[in-house]
Amino acid sequence: MSTLKKFGRFDRFDFLTYPAVLFVFLLFTWMLAVYVTSSIPAFQREGWNVYFTNVWNASECPDKEYYGILAAIWGSLYTSTIALLVALPLSISYSIFVVDYAPKRLKGILEITSDIMAGLPTIIYGIWGAFFLVPFLKEWVMMPVYNYLSFIPIFSQKPVSGFSFFSAGVLLGIMITPFVSAVVREAYTTIPHTYREAAYSLGLTRYEATKILIGYVKPAMISGTILGFGRAIGETVAVSLVVGNAFNLSADPFSPGYTISSLIATQYGNSFIYTHMTSVLYAAGLFLFLVGLFITLLGMYVLRRWKKNVSI
Amino acid sequence: MSESEYAIEVENLNIYYGNNHVIKSINLKIPQKTVFAIMGPSGCGKSTMLRSFNRLLDLNKNVRVNGSVHLFGRDIYTGDMDSVEVRREVGMVFQYPNPFPHLSIYNNIALGLKMNKLVKSDKELDERIEWALKKAGLWEEVKHRLNDYPSGLSGGQRQRLVIARVIAMKPKVIMMDEPTANIDPVGSKKIEDLIFELKKDYTIVLVTHNPAQAARVSDYVAFIYLGELVEAGETGKIFTAPESKLTEKYLTGKLV
Repeated sequence: MSTLKKFGRFDRFDFLTYPAVLFVFLLFTWMLAVYVTSSIPAFQREGWNVYFTNVWNASECPDKEYYGILAAIWGSLYTSTIALLVALPLSISYSIFVVDYAPKRLKGILEITSDIMAGLPTIIYGIWGAFFLVPFLKEWVMMPVYNYLSFIPIFSQKPVSGFSFFSAGVLLGIMITPFVSAVVREAYTTIPHTYREAAYSLGLTRYEATKILIGYVKPAMISGTILGFGRAIGETVAVSLVVGNAFNLSADPFSPGYTISSLIATQYGNSFIYTHMTSVLYAAGLFLFLVGLFITLLGMYVLRRWKKNVSI
Repeated sequence: MSESEYAIEVENLNIYYGNNHVIKSINLKIPQKTVFAIMGPSGCGKSTMLRSFNRLLDLNKNVRVNGSVHLFGRDIYTGDMDSVEVRREVGMVFQYPNPFPHLSIYNNIALGLKMNKLVKSDKELDERIEWALKKAGLWEEVKHRLNDYPSGLSGGQRQRLVIARVIAMKPKVIMMDEPTANIDPVGSKKIEDLIFELKKDYTIVLVTHNPAQAARVSDYVAFIYLGELVEAGETGKIFTAPESKLTEKYLTGKLV
């Protein structure tokens, strides 16, 4: 028995786990290093203009090549923000219903459904988005908005194809809802029973008590939101199919655009032809890398601070 | 029905958790403005019974309550009163001090007052909160940091904040479910003193697993064992001359 447990100070699990831990950590730093070094040529040629201009001159003559991904950065932020506006109310209402209001049997079904949705390959959302959601949104949302609200500047252009920031945002919102609601749901279920009792014991109605308990998990909701934003901004395949893929800095939500990830995915093939494009795509990736890293850390920080503050 | 001399009258109370019969045919009369202790070993059903007095058991869908509970003569389970009204009149202090961690000290007390529209103006709200904190003996300790979160308070202070939260609503009955179980001895002493003070104005129902505490603070005591009422009566009498052998064994620490 004792020999199985330990050989002196030598623990078998140390031996097995350390290399794996080391490998994962090295992989992370290595990837970051590759992104940084591969982006350098683009920065040397164009400086910060890579991020702050909207041009895409792919030329067979390398001297004339010039790239700036501002439109894609704009598109990423725009679509992700729309996604959150869609996902947040959906997730919060869904979670509250599942935890507090749903009958027991329905609860299980709803939980499994959202878990399955979270695990679906994104291309499934993409195809559905391109063939169903885009035409649907065009007919039932974009056209009516254009018909009745075209006096508002951002809605003044007639929607053409339906492939747009808006479609991408809505699709992303649908895609991240299961993730955000998982975080919200978990936080909401872990509210200690004693606070529920406290709320009701003060003569609060169910609605009032729920409102107070939502206040209690608000930071968890914020962090769920942040993590959802991180996922939305990084999502690629589905977005590429519905965003329209055009260099467009417009605030018109119904116009086509790019996101950083859809830009990389669709331009990747061209980078074999053009001399300076690869480095620019790396620079675009680096931007996404850092934004994603920042957002994830921020989300985790908010969640951790909350757990510490409310811990018993 | 006319106002009863009893704060709470329990008649043939039976409580079931699913198929589990946890409270068995209990009859009990709790006189007004006294401290009524309900004691018994852990898991005997005393906390469950307490929660039937303010309909907090309604939160659990698996629980069934049979029999009747009257609050000052009004039946709390039939059409006489709805659960919100019951809970407004029967305040509760819990075993774990549970002020809401995301609300300031001030807002913890303001919550019930505002939601139940018990005060008419901000000025009245301020006054009521100060009054309640003074009653709970916490005012001097927190008056300079009413907007702080309760995380900075000690366990005993938090429990007194919960008591202030309850007092502020001016309930008729205050129920306390082992209020000192998670509090250090100094904090416990303060809470026991407070209970003594509060019985001048309120009826207090105290659940405790500590017979010594029941002896110290209560006027009447009921001993519950395995969901049944063994014996109830004046504290002095129960502790000096219990009728039941079971009570005697419990009080002398021989009941496991």
